[in-house]
Amino acid sequence: MRMMVIYVKPVSLRHIGHLDLMRTMQRALRRSGLPVRYSRGFNPHIKLSFASPLSVGIAGEREIMDVPIDGECGEESFLEQLNRVLPGDLKAVGARCIDDSFPTLMGLAAGSRYRIETDHPADALKDAAKRLLSAENYQAVRRTKSGESVCDILPYIHTLEIKDHAVSFTALNLQSGSLRPSVVMDALFALSDIEPCGYTAIREAILARDAQGDLVPLEVISHDG
Amino acid sequence: MTDRIERLLERVEKPVRYIGGELNAAVLPFAEAEITFAFCFPDTYEVAMSHLGMKILYGILNAMPGVLCERACMPWVDMLTAMREEQVELFSLESRTPLRRFDIVGFTLQYEMSYTNILHMLALGGIPVKAADRGEEDAIVIAGGPCASNPEPLHRFIDAFLIGDGEDAIAEVTSLLRDCKRERLTRAQKLRKLAQVEGVYVPVLYAVEYHKDGTLQSFAPIDASVPAVIRKRFTADLENAYYPTSPPVPYTQVIHDRIMLEIMRGCTRGCRFCHAGMFYRPVRERSVEKLLALAQELVDSTGYEEISLSSLSSGDYSRLQELCERLTEQFKDQHVSLSLPSLRIDSVLKGSLEQTQAVRKTSLTFAPEAGTQRLRDVINKGVTQDDLTEKLRDAFENGWNSVKLYFMMGLPTETPEDIEGIAKLAKAAVDTYYAVPKGRRAKGLRITVSVSVLVPKPFTPFQWCAQDTPETVRDKQQTLRHLLNIRGVHYNWHDSLTSQLEACFALGDRRMADVLYRAYELGCKLDGWSEHFRYDLWMQAFRELGIDPAFYANRARGTDEILPWDFIDIGVTKAYLKAEWERAQRAETTPDCREGCNFCGLQRMKGLCKGCE
Repeated sequence: MRMMVIYVKPVSLRHIGHLDLMRTMQRALRRSGLPVRYSRGFNPHIKLSFASPLSVGIAGEREIMDVPIDGECGEESFLEQLNRVLPGDLKAVGARCIDDSFPTLMGLAAGSRYRIETDHPADALKDAAKRLLSAENYQAVRRTKSGESVCDILPYIHTLEIKDHAVSFTALNLQSGSLRPSVVMDALFALSDIEPCGYTAIREAILARDAQGDLVPLEVISHDG
Repeated sequence: MTDRIERLLERVEKPVRYIGGELNAAVLPFAEAEITFAFCFPDTYEVAMSHLGMKILYGILNAMPGVLCERACMPWVDMLTAMREEQVELFSLESRTPLRRFDIVGFTLQYEMSYTNILHMLALGGIPVKAADRGEEDAIVIAGGPCASNPEPLHRFIDAFLIGDGEDAIAEVTSLLRDCKRERLTRAQKLRKLAQVEGVYVPVLYAVEYHKDGTLQSFAPIDASVPAVIRKRFTADLENAYYPTSPPVPYTQVIHDRIMLEIMRGCTRGCRFCHAGMFYRPVRERSVEKLLALAQELVDSTGYEEISLSSLSSGDYSRLQELCERLTEQFKDQHVSLSLPSLRIDSVLKGSLEQTQAVRKTSLTFAPEAGTQRLRDVINKGVTQDDLTEKLRDAFENGWNSVKLYFMMGLPTETPEDIEGIAKLAKAAVDTYYAVPKGRRAKGLRITVSVSVLVPKPFTPFQWCAQDTPETVRDKQQTLRHLLNIRGVHYNWHDSLTSQLEACFALGDRRMADVLYRAYELGCKLDGWSEHFRYDLWMQAFRELGIDPAFYANRARGTDEILPWDFIDIGVTKAYLKAEWERAQRAETTPDCREGCNFCGLQRMKGLCKGCE
């Protein structure tokens, strides 16, 4: 059996990188006494995978990990036992039992919805967003596994809106990867005359396609899509 | 404050170093504490959080009612610059309180090359760098750790030094200062009281005079109420001493990112270059039963996946094999692995080898220290060529292919033959590997030969010897580079200039404090990180003050000279060290004291040193 765990990576812990977060979760699971599975080999570690790794500097409100477990374990008690040992403000907010045959979560992940909180005047950002979306294409530097590459970022942007002081945008996971909030923010700064400065990026949801092909939160996807 | 810090974190490398809030970190609200202690580690977070001593003292202080201990580390250069630009003071990891608001600020002295960091941390924390400039509102700045055995180069910056094991002493000092705070005593009164605590040295209460040639003429307390001799503190009962069973667990990977289980303290081997071997006497062991219980608590409270046994010489632990077997058995279902560091070549290796192999195959480390038997006798490293060959054969036959060999150069009486001996030993190790049949040995031999430069340390028989000059060191390194050009062998060497400065601080007197201050003013920092070490600025500081580094590092001292640290009684006597220095020059070895008391001085402390009973 596997447990799909929904957890919060709070703003206070946004600087923790993906690998560090993984180690933190593995250590928490070891402390929890939950019936987790271990890898084989000389250096066994707790099996664990993430639906969509989150970069350093970004917080997450509904992050998702996949924890294979042995035997039966109730969702409620799993959640309670895990929360008892999670450090700091890290918190699990949902657990859902899924079958071993359920697709990999990383395979299901089709995009991410972000909220980027800034102190910038909304009007200036709105203008910049309008300009970005109406452009034929917009070349920007994307950081990928194999280094930096310049490409058109518009295909990655599913939606982009400005609400109050926040930029709300949905990025698509394409074959070539996805788009970090910082790339969109850099584009908005470049397309307006506002000085680039601090903002807080928060991932609100990891998205997947439902049977109709619509983007919905991954955690609600059922086995048959 | 927090908002400004948050903004800084957006622009620096590895911001996770500065966020605090780790599992098991102290949570008492700052305002609720009766007395506050900032435990300062003068190096980066990753180094600090790898240090067992800090975890011990942090745990002891936070277990005391009304006491809050928080941590602070040296910011990396980018953060340091950003903090200065934005005028953010150095803050504690837990509550982000500036250092200046703490009652006590304590530094641990692990390494001479971290001294400039102490000055930067004080300044950045809003505390006057020089003790003489501190007022009634300023924190009392204390320091301890192995380098406190020669406190003089820091005497201008530290109000009180704590010499020896910290377990009891730190609690005593903290509760004393809590009482002083209740009674609203002045700074001067507090320092007077501190000076009465055993093991505490308050430098402002002592005066020194020098001969014309620069050596010490006298060192004495300024009045009769101050002790003339400072006796090192000992934690007599290690078995029942506090041990941190729920230490903070970093969010990010640090250098020693695992459970450290201190199985014993002290070492009786008597290697003549080794400060720790003299300073941490006598040997005290924890029982296997105690260690199994501590390990279980630690695994449960941290979730770490690895335990490493910690001590100066784990191979000498009397029940090592039993301990390894029982630890492996106890944690096999939790998949916690066991690693054995700093294995000595003459340790009970075979049995333990099989245990570590069952869980994990790490690189093996051997420390012959010198290239020939004669020189190994000089330094009293009781290891023979046959020992090494046999242990290496065992290792290679058991599937190891990676071995580290540690050596030193610049040892007293060293000749070119001794340097060549290092290469001969490395070659012998290679031959031992190839002597194991092809099917039975692991592929890809890697022998790492690390050769450091002897830094003579206080309270060792070599405290009187001159360090090789940087030029001599470079010549010897060149020779070795050619000799060690052997397939499968990698050669690491140490920077000769750093070693010289280490010696200046290890053996320095009060005038080194002026050099340190000038170097700090010139911008020296993070000197232990080679990319930041500015030898030119250090030399400028020496030059401006008319002080010659060779006076401290490269001068042989007479045994009748007053040494800057003579006022400290660490247990081992100067007479014993002198006898050992003389034996060294005759290449005479001294047996391990478990085979019979050598009367090093510890025998004076009844009940403390088991070997002397």
